[in-house]
Amino acid sequence: MWRYEKRLQYPVKISQTNPKLAQFIISQYGGPDGESAAAMRYLSQRYAMPYKKGKAILTDIGTEELGHWEIIAAIVHQLTRNLTPEEIEASGFGPYYIDHTTGIWPQAAGGVPFNACEFQSKGDPITDLFEDLAAEQKARTTYDNILRMVKDHDVCDPIRFLREREIVHFQRFGEALRDVQDHLDSRNFYAFNPAFDQQMPSSR
Amino acid sequence: MCENALLQKVYETGFALDEVNLYLDTHPSDSQAIEYYQYVKRMNQDAIAAYEKVHGPLMINQISGNSWTWVNNPWPWEGGM
Repeated sequence: MWRYEKRLQYPVKISQTNPKLAQFIISQYGGPDGESAAAMRYLSQRYAMPYKKGKAILTDIGTEELGHWEIIAAIVHQLTRNLTPEEIEASGFGPYYIDHTTGIWPQAAGGVPFNACEFQSKGDPITDLFEDLAAEQKARTTYDNILRMVKDHDVCDPIRFLREREIVHFQRFGEALRDVQDHLDSRNFYAFNPAFDQQMPSSR
Repeated sequence: MCENALLQKVYETGFALDEVNLYLDTHPSDSQAIEYYQYVKRMNQDAIAAYEKVHGPLMINQISGNSWTWVNNPWPWEGGM
């Protein structure tokens, strides 16, 4: 279960609205490498994880991703406050506005709605952890792409924080993968799926 | 950076706690890291208590008195904290 802490993981205070930028950044709310996919990916994968370090890291990174999802929403919300119809039209935010006004809705930058097919839960800890490593890198690249478009320090600051977290998570998932492999057949990591096959070694 | 010094302390100590938490998940027998965890845990508890005393509850189990202060502003996404 979860309890809410009434603060963000990292503060967001944006004084200058920018609906065009909001439309880029919302990709990390509901896009292919976004924070919602990250949270659902790790929190769903943990049930097939046989080893204790892996169960802990999937739970705790998954939980942190929920906090990142909230940071992105806060950025988008603050970038789209008090807009006039003229500003909306001129910025290209019009299509989003027509469907959602300035409410927060999970979509990619190109308007594609959030879809669970943006992540996998394969029921094999090696497969899942390789996906997780790739996911952290893809999110880092997305933040790099966003940072190239952002000039406003108020926006850069929390985006840089989120980018750094992708790198730390990549490191921790790498350690979790090493731990899984340490439990397996050293001559062939893929000899069996430790989440499913019965011929597992006894050590956990 | 946050303008409210009490809240800034919550952010800093909370982040230290998040970071050592993930590290300990993959290094659960690192005694130096456990010591650090105990150290930042205490700092975080103190920072939260100091903030809540002035600005109201950060968590639902910290509401004191006979008024439901949980509904009061600010909410975190509004930029006031």
